[in-house]
Amino acid sequence: MQQILVIAKQTFKEAVRNKILFILITLGVITICCSVFMPVVGEGREKLKIVESMCFRSITFFGTLAAILLSASSIPTDIDNKVLCTITAKPVQRANIIFGKIIGFVYIIGVLLLIMGSVSYALIRYTALRQNSQDSHGLLIREQFDPVDLQITGDSARNIGNVSWIEGGKGASVWKFRGLSSKDRKDDLEIEANFLIEGRKRSIGTIPVKIKVINPYSARVLTESMEVSQNKPLLLRLNGKSLDGSEELTIVISPGKSGDFLGIRADSLRIFWGGKGFGCNYLKGLTIISTQFLLIVVIAVLGSTFLSLPVNILFCLFVFFCGNITDFMRDLSTVINVIETREHEHAISGVMRESNVFLVCLNNIIKKPILLLSYILPDFRYFSVGKYFVDGINIPCKRIFMSFGYAVLYALVCLPISFLVFKRKEIA
Amino acid sequence: MSDDIAIKTEDLTKAYRSFFGRKKVLALNKLNIVVRKGEIFGLLGPNGSGKTTTLKLLLGLLFPTEGRAYVLGKATDDVTVKSRIGFLPEESCFYRFLNADETLDFYGQLFRIPGKERKLRTDRLLKRVGLEFARKRHLKQYSKGMLRRIGIAQALINDPGLIILDEPTSGLDPIGTRETKDLILELKSQGKTVLLCSHLLSDVQDICDSVAIIDKGELQISGTIGELLANKDIVELLIRNLSKETLAEVERFIQEKQGEVVSIKNSSGTLEDLFLKIYAANISNSKTDV
Repeated sequence: MQQILVIAKQTFKEAVRNKILFILITLGVITICCSVFMPVVGEGREKLKIVESMCFRSITFFGTLAAILLSASSIPTDIDNKVLCTITAKPVQRANIIFGKIIGFVYIIGVLLLIMGSVSYALIRYTALRQNSQDSHGLLIREQFDPVDLQITGDSARNIGNVSWIEGGKGASVWKFRGLSSKDRKDDLEIEANFLIEGRKRSIGTIPVKIKVINPYSARVLTESMEVSQNKPLLLRLNGKSLDGSEELTIVISPGKSGDFLGIRADSLRIFWGGKGFGCNYLKGLTIISTQFLLIVVIAVLGSTFLSLPVNILFCLFVFFCGNITDFMRDLSTVINVIETREHEHAISGVMRESNVFLVCLNNIIKKPILLLSYILPDFRYFSVGKYFVDGINIPCKRIFMSFGYAVLYALVCLPISFLVFKRKEIA
Repeated sequence: MSDDIAIKTEDLTKAYRSFFGRKKVLALNKLNIVVRKGEIFGLLGPNGSGKTTTLKLLLGLLFPTEGRAYVLGKATDDVTVKSRIGFLPEESCFYRFLNADETLDFYGQLFRIPGKERKLRTDRLLKRVGLEFARKRHLKQYSKGMLRRIGIAQALINDPGLIILDEPTSGLDPIGTRETKDLILELKSQGKTVLLCSHLLSDVQDICDSVAIIDKGELQISGTIGELLANKDIVELLIRNLSKETLAEVERFIQEKQGEVVSIKNSSGTLEDLFLKIYAANISNSKTDV
C-alpha cells in the first residue's frame, strides 16, 4: 500500500509541477466565469439555465480533458523518458504502479472538481440571487416520476427498435404512475411527453392526440385534446390538489385521427412535481461526473499499457465519443435493418425511405461490428446529468448508485486486463 | 546454485520481434556467464552488442526468449530479489521536476525504507557523490555529469548487495570518472558485488576482477583480467634510477642468456594521471591563495 501511495503522490506532484493541472483549472474557471457574460434571449430562468449549462459543460469538458490527457500520457511518457526503467528495477509489483497511477489521477480529478465545482456553485448561486427579483423559482429542483407500467392496448402497429407505433383509432397507450408525492401538494404537477409522429402526409408537422388523466383513487377523469409536434415536448399542467391525496395516476394517450401514427418509447412520458434544494442536487451531479472521470481514467490507463501516447489519446477520445452515442449506434443498426426489410415506412423519415446503396453496404459490412462495439464500449449516458440541471430536475439517488455501480463493474473488467498486459510489458 | 554465485545465466537468449511476431533482431544468443559474489564483473562489447539487454533481462525489465537467469539465487521474475539490487541505467532518467533530495526520498520509499533512515542515507549519499551543494535544485537544471551522480546515489539508496551499473562513467569528466571508479572499488571492499557494462576498456581494466566480452549478442570470451591479459612469454621490468651504462650491461646480460629485448623505453603515465595531477595542483594553489 505504501508503494501505491508513493506512486500516487508522485503522479499528483508531476501534474502540479508540470503546470498541466494549473492550466486546465485556470482555463476551466475562465470559461465558467465567461458564462455570466453570455448574451441571453429570454428572461429570468433562461439566464440561469445558460449559466448552469455552461458550468456543467465546462466541468465535464475540462475534467474529461484532464482525465484523458494525464492518464493516457503518464505511463507512455514514463516509458519514453525511461523513468519506468528505474521504477520497475525496484521491488515494486507492476500492478502497484497501475494502482498508484490511478489513485494519483483520482487526486488530480478531485482537486479539479473541488476548485471548478466551488466556482461554479458560487456563480450559479450569485446568478440566481440576481435573478431572484424576476423569478422566485430560480433554483427550484423538481422531482421526476417515471411510469411504472406502460401498456399498448388495441390493434397497435408493430414495434420497431424500442419504439411502438400506434395508429389513430386502433390503439392507445396506458401509462401508470405510482408513488407521486410532494412536500407541498399545492404545487402544479407537470406532465411532459416526447412522442414521435407520422401521418398520411409525409411532411406532417403536428397530429392531434387525446389525453385522459385518471385518478384511480377518486375515479376522477380529466380529458384533454392537444396537438403533438415532432420535436417539441407536449406539456400538460395539473393542479396538485386534483390528485385528492392519491399517489397514483393513470394516463391514456392515443392519436386523434385514423392514419396518424404516434411513436412511443418507455420513457416518452414523465411527471414532474414538487421542489427540492439545489445544493444537494448539485453535489449528486458532481458525484456522478466524478464517477465518469474515474471510468475514463481506468480506460486511459488500460490503453496506456499497450498503446503509444498519440494512439492512446485517440483511443480514449474514440471510446469517449462512441460511449456517448451508443444509443445512436444501436439505432443505426435498427435503421439499417429497416431499410433492408422496408416494412414499416412510417417508422423512418422520408430521406431514409429511398433505396440507399450506401446503407445497404453498411448493413452487410458494419452492422454487426457496430452493434457489438455499442455493447463493449462503456455507455457514458449513465453519467449524463446536464439535462437534470438545465431542466431543474432532482437526480434520483438510484441514478448515483447505477452510475457508480456501472463504473465499478467496468473498472473491474478493465483493471485485470491492464495488470496482465502491463505485467508482460517489456520496459526497454 | 552455489552460495557464492551472485548472477548466473543459462543459454540466455533474447530476440526482439516485429509487430507480427516475426523475429527481427537476435539481441542475445545463448549467453552463459557467472558472476561471483564480492567481485567486480565487467561486461564489455561494442555498441549494440547486447550488454544493456543482458542487464535488463537480469532485472526483469525484459523477458528472455529462451534460457534462464538467476540473480542472488532467485529467478529474475521474482520481484523480492530487487530489494537487494541497485541499478544505474544507461541514461540517467528521473523525474526532472524533483530535486535531488526528493528523488532519493522517492526511490527510498519504493524500497520501504523508514523515514529517518531514508533521510540519513540521502544525506550520506549526496555527500558521497558530491551533490550536497545542489540538493534542492530540480534535476532539469542538472548537467549530464550531475545526473549520473544522482543516478549512482539512487542505485545505492537501499544499500544493495548487488549493484548493476550500465555505463557508469558515461558523461563524467575525468575527476568524476576517477571518483566513480574509487566508489566502485570501495563498494567491493565492503563485500558488494558489482556488475558493470561499458565500452571504455581502460575503465574496466582498472577496476574489474573478471570480464566477459560479447559481440552481436554472443559471448566471445570470459575470465579474470589476469587470465585474459597475461602474456606468459614476455616479462616487464620497471626500474627507477638506472644509468645508461648499467642499462647497456643489463641488455648485454639478457642477450647472453638467449633472451630477446623487445623494447626499452622510459615509462609514461596515462593522460588521466596527468589531468588529475594538474587538477590536484590547482586545488592546492587556490587553497594557498586563500
